[in-house]
Amino acid sequence: MIRYKMKNHLLGLALLLTNVVFLSSCADEQDFDQFDDLSVEPLVASSIFYFESDEQTINQAGPGAFYNQNFTFEAFNQPFVSERVLEGTIVYQVENTTSKELSISIAFLDANGAVLDVESFIVPPEPAPLIERQIAYGTAGRSLDILRNTTDIRVSGENLGDTTSTSSLNEPKIILRSSAEFRLRLQ
Amino acid sequence: MRCVRLIFLSVLLGMYASHAQNKQLLYDFYEIPQSLMLNPGVKTPYKWHVGLPLLSGTSIQAGSSGISVNDIFANDGIDFTTKFRERVINGLTKRDVFGGSGQIEVFSVGFRNANRPSDYYSFGVYGEGFIAQYWPRDLAILAFEGNANNLNRRFDLNHFSTQGEAVNVFHFGINRKLNKKWIVGARAKLYSSVFEFKSVNNDGYFVTTQGENNILRNTIVADVTMHTSGVESLFDILLDDDVAQSIELPKWLLGRSLLGGNLGLGLDFGFTYNVGKNSYITASIIDVGFIYHTNDVKNYRLSGAATNEGIEIVLPDDLNDLNTDIWQDLVDDIERQVPFTTDDNSFFSLRPTKLNASFRYNFGSYRALGKDCDCTTRPSVKSEDFDYKNAVGGHLFMIHRPRGPQAAVTAFYQTRFGRSLALKTTYTADKYSFTNVGLGLNLQTGPVNFYIMADNLLSYQNIPASNYASLQFGFNIISWNDN
Repeated sequence: MIRYKMKNHLLGLALLLTNVVFLSSCADEQDFDQFDDLSVEPLVASSIFYFESDEQTINQAGPGAFYNQNFTFEAFNQPFVSERVLEGTIVYQVENTTSKELSISIAFLDANGAVLDVESFIVPPEPAPLIERQIAYGTAGRSLDILRNTTDIRVSGENLGDTTSTSSLNEPKIILRSSAEFRLRLQ
Repeated sequence: MRCVRLIFLSVLLGMYASHAQNKQLLYDFYEIPQSLMLNPGVKTPYKWHVGLPLLSGTSIQAGSSGISVNDIFANDGIDFTTKFRERVINGLTKRDVFGGSGQIEVFSVGFRNANRPSDYYSFGVYGEGFIAQYWPRDLAILAFEGNANNLNRRFDLNHFSTQGEAVNVFHFGINRKLNKKWIVGARAKLYSSVFEFKSVNNDGYFVTTQGENNILRNTIVADVTMHTSGVESLFDILLDDDVAQSIELPKWLLGRSLLGGNLGLGLDFGFTYNVGKNSYITASIIDVGFIYHTNDVKNYRLSGAATNEGIEIVLPDDLNDLNTDIWQDLVDDIERQVPFTTDDNSFFSLRPTKLNASFRYNFGSYRALGKDCDCTTRPSVKSEDFDYKNAVGGHLFMIHRPRGPQAAVTAFYQTRFGRSLALKTTYTADKYSFTNVGLGLNLQTGPVNFYIMADNLLSYQNIPASNYASLQFGFNIISWNDN
């Protein structure tokens, strides 16, 4: 009888221990709604386009425009970008090693062909410094709608000098480089 | 946003769903017939046993290395984005893993061969599943910071590694006592895969560098593959509003569980060897096998290499291509160089093989346990069924994972109170926790056997701060060996 009682006590003790473990467990206060405050805003960068022309081609085109071309450019109006972009910066670099003054302009066009934005450069003949220009879009700059609605880009080049001279530099060219940095809101 | 939140929460909370499949509390706890599933060569003091259908063996385990729910979601007033950046983005490494596993026995039966009493046969069906998600550190940094301020940094695509499955297992095992020293066992398994997804051993990178012509150059080199089976049909049901999910989902689950999915074969081996009078060693290797996926297969692959410096117009070469859609050419080039393809080719998947080994030393007078008592409900355990009053020992567990084996070491102490109650306590160290203390309890009342085991009990002081937790329990009807 005593052994029976002892056994019951042991069983009771074991069950009590189990209950203590599971029922006395506790937790610091958690706030899963904090996830709504998470801000994921990466800064993504990519080159946009590169334009290059040698001096011989410019001379052969004669006075005035030596290039004027529209091309489709649908990187900005992709939903992933246009719906998430918070701000952006487009960087242009222009380098002229030809013997003549040149004009380069870049126009952003919408689907109807309307010009949304234009950036123009008058580049002196060599020895011209590298021209770099940063154009901001968003709260501190031009409207983001320009980027969101851009479907085409027009690149124009105009010779403002003569059509016969050639720079003494090796492989004289006009070069336009461009890249974009966008801050996107993913969350 | 809601979808992102759900995915993130499910990954983090996945640590509470289950994990590394280590069952150190149950291993060699031979009063419990389910210990046969961890070592087919374990001691078997039963004449026969029957598990209560669906209740004989249920276990869930959960683990995460490097972070806990409390680290992120504690209501501590710290800006959430700051916490997330410091503790998740910068705090976790590619070796940190979130995972879980669960198992439920459908039925389990065992009996001793009347003509050859040294043999104990067991068979049954159980379902199990697991998920192991390694933290994709580089991809997370890319998503969080972007590439603009990370020039020349390679974002490795091999950080993406994930694996998960649900499988139904039909098994039959033989346990044989060869002599006083040796007990050996083997179990054959037929796997019926319900679904599986696996993306491991990926390769490649994404990097942004200074361009050769233009300002920046983006380069991607990719060899990323995701194998799936059973997933597409599952999503067809879940995402189709016209399908009655309450009817179709159980039908789908039942069909694929009962050999209607993809099939495979596997084996378990194990032994117990008495080193001396009071000590013995055990070892087992579980799930040496494969599944061959042939139906409802869909594989995804991103493979190739491409560099991009934007659209390029170079005169005079491009004067002849004024009407060419150079944007579309650029897109087509990238898609051709790094194609994203799908196929339905069959594939093999190896089972997550597990290795157990233990050493045990018994002490204390166990024969006293067999003395009669005045109990009104008398346990059916006989005096020679158990060979210990107290036992101490160590246990090693290893499991094969995509980034190499994961190991855990355990020290345990086990004691019996009479013939009805046995307790086992463990201390386990692994990559998830160094403070893992577990407790297992086995009760025998008449023929009814009940066990319950829980892990990482210290974490119950603050459950969200835990990196690991597990719970397993079950009911059996046992008839013990005659003496």
